[in-house]
Amino acid sequence: MSKLKLASYWAAACGGCDVATLDIHEKIVDVAAVADIVFWPIAVDFKYADVEGYEDGFIDVCLFHGAIRNSEGEHIAKLLRKKSKVMVAFGSCAISGGIPGLANFKQKDDIFYRVYIESQSTQNPQKVYPQTHYAVPEGVLDLPEFYKDVKSLSDVVDVDYYMPGCPPTSAQIWAVIGVIASGALPPKGAFVGCENQTLCNTCTRAKTDKKVKKFYQPYQIITDPEKCLLEQGLTCMGPVTRAGCSNQCISANHPCTGCYGPVEGVIDQGAKYISALASVVDADSPDEADRIISEIADPAGLFYRYGLPGSLLRRAK
Amino acid sequence: MQRISIDPITRLEGHGKIEIFLNDAGGVENCYFQIPELRGFEKFCEGRPADQVPQIVSRICGV
Repeated sequence: MSKLKLASYWAAACGGCDVATLDIHEKIVDVAAVADIVFWPIAVDFKYADVEGYEDGFIDVCLFHGAIRNSEGEHIAKLLRKKSKVMVAFGSCAISGGIPGLANFKQKDDIFYRVYIESQSTQNPQKVYPQTHYAVPEGVLDLPEFYKDVKSLSDVVDVDYYMPGCPPTSAQIWAVIGVIASGALPPKGAFVGCENQTLCNTCTRAKTDKKVKKFYQPYQIITDPEKCLLEQGLTCMGPVTRAGCSNQCISANHPCTGCYGPVEGVIDQGAKYISALASVVDADSPDEADRIISEIADPAGLFYRYGLPGSLLRRAK
Repeated sequence: MQRISIDPITRLEGHGKIEIFLNDAGGVENCYFQIPELRGFEKFCEGRPADQVPQIVSRICGV
């Protein structure tokens, strides 16, 4: 059997997915035994021109990290889609915009002003913004167009599989690589490297009355490690977040922030969480309900921490 | 004038490209280093609670 041809790319990403992949440690040698890496900017020195030179379908599996933030991200996504038999949206950013998707709470003009003019570490007295084309004495230089909105990978290309997490855990990555190498691929559109139940379902903390009179920020209270974090007044996203992360945050006494995204059948994680909160708030009047809910700091930024571009809202006006 | 594009630069976190222009004698006439990416953490961290910011900015670079 010929070796698999594997590609990996980052668009608007942090490299955390790449590092989580490398965190399989010495097993990376086993990957090399079954697969040839034909593009992976963090680790090997292939150029875009090399990918352009590959025949269509040359790459067996492309693990695509990162959100689509600019025209280069979209261009490379389309190039890799054409060259790859299987395209995996790998990590929260590729699936639903991830942390870079928080930019959809802001406007492009305001982002540029803050970054290139206003920020304390910028000196730009002529107020120059990046240009997509810029003439220098030797020729013309090009930069990608910064889009108005952050998009997910499936907004610009057809995606075969989704692997959630910010980042996906190394154990899950290793398991998925095993499935890919075996050739026993799941049905198109499947979420891989995760479970189809909520984190809440897998949590071993004691759940009792589900009545919340007051919400806290994590630094405001010392929590009981045996009891449900939500019932203690922390906005744990466990009830609306897919399991598969090995419960890392809640095991460390930190509420889930939702990075594995919603479970199957839920199209808007934030809206689902509002529904979940409504069922635990213990208020005797609309005024008291308002008071309790208003204690949640930055609810939109919390409920859509990893998925604003992929949500029903997509962006703030 | 000959142009050499190194795109992308590799084996580091982030995106970058280098454009090198050679003169007729084959020497480097000029060289440009470009960063073709921006996410805008400087702006979208505004309004987020202070205790949440370390969790968000840890995604500037995951390497």
